[in-house]
Amino acid sequence: MNTRSVIHQFNLNKLFYPESIAIVGATNTPGTVPYDMVKNIIKAPFRGTVYPVSPREKSIIKIRCYKYVIDIKESVDLAIIVFPGAVCHMALEQCGQKGIKAVVIISAGFREIGPKGLERENRLIAIAKKYDISFIGPNCLGIINTDSRVKLNASFARKMPEEGTIGFLSQSGALCTAVLDYAQAHHIGFSKFISIGNKTDINETDLLYYLMEDEKTKVILLYLEEVTNGQALLHAAQEVILKSHKPILAIKAGRTNAGAAAAASHTGSLAGSDEICDAAFKQTGIIRCDNIEELFNRAMAFAYQPAPITNKVAIITNAGGPGVLATDATIKNSLQLARFSDKTTTTLKKQLPTTANIHNPVDMIGDAKVDRYSSTITATLEDKEVAAAFIILTPQSMTDIEAIAHEIVNQSANYQKPVYTSFMGEADVAAGINILHHNQIPHYRIPESMADALKHVYDFQQYLNGNHSMPAPLSNIRINKAQALLTKATQNNRHFLPQNEAAEILAAYDLLSPPQQLAKSKKEAIYLANQIGYPVVLKVMSDDIFHKHDVNGVQLNLQNNRTVATAYDLILQNVETKQPNARINGILVTKMIQQGTEVIIGMKRDPSFGPVVMFGLGGIFVEIYRDVSFRVAPLTNEDAASMITQLKAAPLLSGFRGRPRADIESLKDCLLRISALTIECPQIEELEINPLIVHPQGCIVADAKIILQTKPQ
Amino acid sequence: MTHTDTSDRVKKVVAQVLKMEETEIKEDANFIFDLGADSMQSLQLVAAFEEEFDIEMEQDKALEVQSIKEAVTFIESYLS
Repeated sequence: MNTRSVIHQFNLNKLFYPESIAIVGATNTPGTVPYDMVKNIIKAPFRGTVYPVSPREKSIIKIRCYKYVIDIKESVDLAIIVFPGAVCHMALEQCGQKGIKAVVIISAGFREIGPKGLERENRLIAIAKKYDISFIGPNCLGIINTDSRVKLNASFARKMPEEGTIGFLSQSGALCTAVLDYAQAHHIGFSKFISIGNKTDINETDLLYYLMEDEKTKVILLYLEEVTNGQALLHAAQEVILKSHKPILAIKAGRTNAGAAAAASHTGSLAGSDEICDAAFKQTGIIRCDNIEELFNRAMAFAYQPAPITNKVAIITNAGGPGVLATDATIKNSLQLARFSDKTTTTLKKQLPTTANIHNPVDMIGDAKVDRYSSTITATLEDKEVAAAFIILTPQSMTDIEAIAHEIVNQSANYQKPVYTSFMGEADVAAGINILHHNQIPHYRIPESMADALKHVYDFQQYLNGNHSMPAPLSNIRINKAQALLTKATQNNRHFLPQNEAAEILAAYDLLSPPQQLAKSKKEAIYLANQIGYPVVLKVMSDDIFHKHDVNGVQLNLQNNRTVATAYDLILQNVETKQPNARINGILVTKMIQQGTEVIIGMKRDPSFGPVVMFGLGGIFVEIYRDVSFRVAPLTNEDAASMITQLKAAPLLSGFRGRPRADIESLKDCLLRISALTIECPQIEELEINPLIVHPQGCIVADAKIILQTKPQ
Repeated sequence: MTHTDTSDRVKKVVAQVLKMEETEIKEDANFIFDLGADSMQSLQLVAAFEEEFDIEMEQDKALEVQSIKEAVTFIESYLS
């Protein structure tokens, strides 16, 4: 944590729990942000003292105004600046003089309008540093703290949300008001509600640390549009999750990205920023959501109900079709249908009509009323095999919807097992849904969402129980050797290192290649082939050729001097035809490797998240199948293992249909070594081993390339 | 016209537009931060200066002018 972050943690308590607030730039014009800000703070009602500061007004909403914040004699904990952007720095300067340490700058007119606005932001930062002020914004909706001890609505949202246990951070102010409206309709309460705007000073990372310690917050939701320092965010998020066990659910906007077009490696082409963000969030335990409904569906499950002990679910329904949908979704989400005990089935047989299905999913038949729901819920939740219940209702003429909703509320309170509901329909079920919402029983429009929510709660528990420690130091690592090679290449203004040079660097990390040497002539190639031993492979080495196959620059399985001579000429001829301006370093003569499973390991530095390791099944078709996994370095043992098992093609490595079983332990070791190399050698911008041949015992680098960082001009 | 004349006329215009006493307006007063001008009044100030001094100001630049002192200098650049 840097100095500013430490100051922020100190000041954030004043920001959320002020005893006095100055609204700087307030006006008496209803319908404007400066007026509504005062009105909302009063209306909340804020438990402390309010000081409107206005150059012109004598009073606002019958509260005395001050011309300047420095005119207030009493101490002020929090200032809300609502002046136009052009003069916010003047207001902030006076806040500093007054000794105010926590500020929210609502005003727009900053980086979002261009260079002039950015200059204004820089001025704000300079003032904040001068006075040790921490500020939220600018260009934000404000902050809300529903805690009854403070009741702070320092925002221009229409309504104060209900008190709850969800902390919400959003980069978009406009989205905040929509979320508040949605939440109100669903009786979803918040602990803290924060619009971070341009996050010029306090950012999402600072707030994550604050919410980690906040006793009122159980679940943290994020809406992000840009992640400027992904590494800091991941570090903070993982610390929050592992220390506090509070889940973090995030929407990261901007899933589509057309940026990876002309890449020098398969890794560059496959590792788009969204794929990396996805992998980084998963690796850190952040649950990524696609939309607001999904975000709150999952958040309700975390906030309202206990986590399941196992993934075994009971489905209770009064309609067959929705029961089948719920069953499909349960299986699809890697959950299981609980197998009821004999006692449970005997009880259900006694209590339900003969036409009912007494096995899981339990179909109580369309005319089920509250008595049937009641006895079925009791019987299933009493069963030790059942860890969670999905309760479905469709509204028939005899269905006593509200009574059933009340019964679910009562029954749920008796068990430490999650109970989710889906009352399907709209108008007829509205009153029942309202009862469920009011009593914090998660309700979902469609049964499938119950399974999705439970899966994420269950997976989160698994994540918490996982091993997140870093691997033991790797043996046979020669950092100095790798650094010396990289320094030499950098000094020679090299950008692309072909296989022969990449192999030397990889060898320093004990990632071995077959015997190989560079030939400068046909005669030398024949000599080297004999030294290495047949069969051999010939490959063109050039700083200008990123994909050797594209220029037919590789000749495989050469058995004798004659074929080596022919292959040598052919490669040069092919290059001359396909890329005549390429500078050729020589022809690499390398031992032909025994067949095995071909995989690809790549690395790319992401501008936000840092070094990212990629793994997939290798070969030239990798970009077509896109069956690859990503993790942000450094990798843990668990990361390396899950990168392999995550692939659809993973069975190919485990002896699929008589194929030899690949050495998975050696493969994991290779991934950890690449992870270490990327951390310890920041000069490497991009790296790719394609293919790495995995044998039943050990792995060998068949081809590799390294792209170095370009020196800043 | 002397610098003091221009300054006095600027203050007179500001007092009229913002509906306040001329004596309340100091030379270094900021239209927004000290005198409480809102965005509409900022536009009205530009129009009133043009009328008072019979000049036509470049609006974007005129709206960047924030204080009495800056306004006097800006208007004098048109008068010279």
